[in-house]
Amino acid sequence: MADRSESDRLQQETWLQRTIRRPEIGSFTVMIVIIIALSMASNGKAFNALGLKNNIAIIAQYGIIATGAAMLMIAGEFDLSIGSMIGFAGMSMAMMLKWGLPFGLGEATPFLAFFITLAMTLSIGWVIGTVVVRSGLSSFIVTLAFLFFMRGVTEVSFRLINQSTQISGLPDYKETSWFADLLGGEVFGWFYDLWFALGGNLNRRGEQWVDGFDARFLWWLIIAGGAYFILSRTQIGNWIYATGDNKESARANGVPVNRVKVGLFMFTAFCATMFAACQVFDTNTSDAAKGNLQELFAIAIAVVGGTLMTGGFGSIIGVVFGAITVGLVANAVFFIPTIDGAWFRVFLGGILLAAVFANERIRKRITGGI
Amino acid sequence: MAEPYLRVENLQKQFGPFIALGGVDLEIYPGEVHALLGDNGAGKSTLIKTLAGVHQPSGGQIYVEGKPVNFRSPRDASSAGIGTVYQDLALNQLMSITRNFFMGREIKGPLGTLKMDEMNKIAHDEMLKIGIDFSDPTQAVGTMSGGQRQTLAIARAIYFGARVLILDEPTSALGQKQQMEVLKTIKRVRARGDIGIIFITHNEIHSKLVADRFTFLALGKVIGSGTLQELADEDIRKLMAGGAEMADLEQELAAI
Repeated sequence: MADRSESDRLQQETWLQRTIRRPEIGSFTVMIVIIIALSMASNGKAFNALGLKNNIAIIAQYGIIATGAAMLMIAGEFDLSIGSMIGFAGMSMAMMLKWGLPFGLGEATPFLAFFITLAMTLSIGWVIGTVVVRSGLSSFIVTLAFLFFMRGVTEVSFRLINQSTQISGLPDYKETSWFADLLGGEVFGWFYDLWFALGGNLNRRGEQWVDGFDARFLWWLIIAGGAYFILSRTQIGNWIYATGDNKESARANGVPVNRVKVGLFMFTAFCATMFAACQVFDTNTSDAAKGNLQELFAIAIAVVGGTLMTGGFGSIIGVVFGAITVGLVANAVFFIPTIDGAWFRVFLGGILLAAVFANERIRKRITGGI
Repeated sequence: MAEPYLRVENLQKQFGPFIALGGVDLEIYPGEVHALLGDNGAGKSTLIKTLAGVHQPSGGQIYVEGKPVNFRSPRDASSAGIGTVYQDLALNQLMSITRNFFMGREIKGPLGTLKMDEMNKIAHDEMLKIGIDFSDPTQAVGTMSGGQRQTLAIARAIYFGARVLILDEPTSALGQKQQMEVLKTIKRVRARGDIGIIFITHNEIHSKLVADRFTFLALGKVIGSGTLQELADEDIRKLMAGGAEMADLEQELAAI
């Protein structure tokens, strides 16, 4: 008895046991199942040269906003204004490109349109965050207010200035502006070049079929990679976890809880702006309804990826798996024409519910509640 | 007699018309455990919150190493060497031991990165010093027992420079064995010799096991104080009951 210390009571685990207990394991397993099922059901079409590009495009879109939503959820708050923020940012950029800078300051370059829009969205993110931390109100209701407010502002601005709620037929800025190309162009061309050189990636005439991934793939990798690094390796990451877990004890230890939250509301606004910018410069169009419901997909993916609704716990790697899973299923209808596209929502609802239960189990295990 | 590290003179605190503290004197010496006893509502919480900088006193003076001080915030108090371990311990259950240990005061490398190895080692070593050997500092605090959490919070306060450690009812809400663990921890901290401990408790036996000096509060005033040698068991019991004669109570109970 006397020679037994407390440390002996914690069972040493093998590498395999540790891996199985990781919070990402659920979303990883679901992802693998979906990849295998989709390749079989589509006869491999989902992962041929064009299928891969199209799948990655939607996965990256989801991934960008889900990363922002997950970071904020880990800090214990929600942002329902992501979708409206996407619409607003897209409107703002397209409108400046078509009608020039505000107050008659002349022509807008893609560079100016993007950064003026980003300044606006970050300010709105700051306002939302400040209202939430100052009022102490639930972020659910504050951001719900901004969901309606921003969508309304977007539509009204479109009608007032543009007389129509959509803009199309903008010139292809990718050809003339390196900056537009950075956001809407193609990346990782070497991947498809290599594929072609190895004898694949051929179209019907035997030429190279696909030249590269959409640029948003790169932006997703940058945003998710940056978020992973910040969360797991930096002081700010520790503050984010502490804020979401128990903000009173975080505050008692000197963590600037309010600044962390406001900063993360600005981060979700940034993610929404990147989502919109990649879309605008890729398609050269904008529409008042863009981004509708995306906030709910972002939150759903964060939860599927293992983020706790109550805050304090979550994993960016899990969110990456979640984005891949949901993105693939959302796109599945294009590769398997016989299925009804609405099955996507049935599936999403199902795995969302399963994920909430799984996450709750993880939380109880960690807090010793089993 | 050594100089007290912390001295409180005629400390008063009013909340509107309510007198929470009506002139309290207290001396905390390094290397001593000072038990602060009193019934619910006696003013214990107000006293420690004033010492911790949460409340500003309405009157009287606090001295640290003989110099008068004015705590405007908990941060002031903690940089003056007053470390408070509240009942809720200010720990986050989902985070690891190390992440809790350094919460808000992380050791940073370039770009704000955490020096995780160094922090793991410090957290492990500091906890070992006061009696708990953890094999895995990445274990979540939620998996620890109540006594171990107390130890973590105490080790953290000491590492970040506490010279006076205020322990707010550290043995309440714990099982028998864990209470003993906490008392052992208190003894180990006392044995260092440089830290004064304010030990708040309702438990007479616990206070007699570890305390060198006693102060009894009732209705916002000191109703008795002294060292363990000066006070007889009978006095301690009487003072703990808020000064009321136990014999009276026995009679009252018998009459029901």
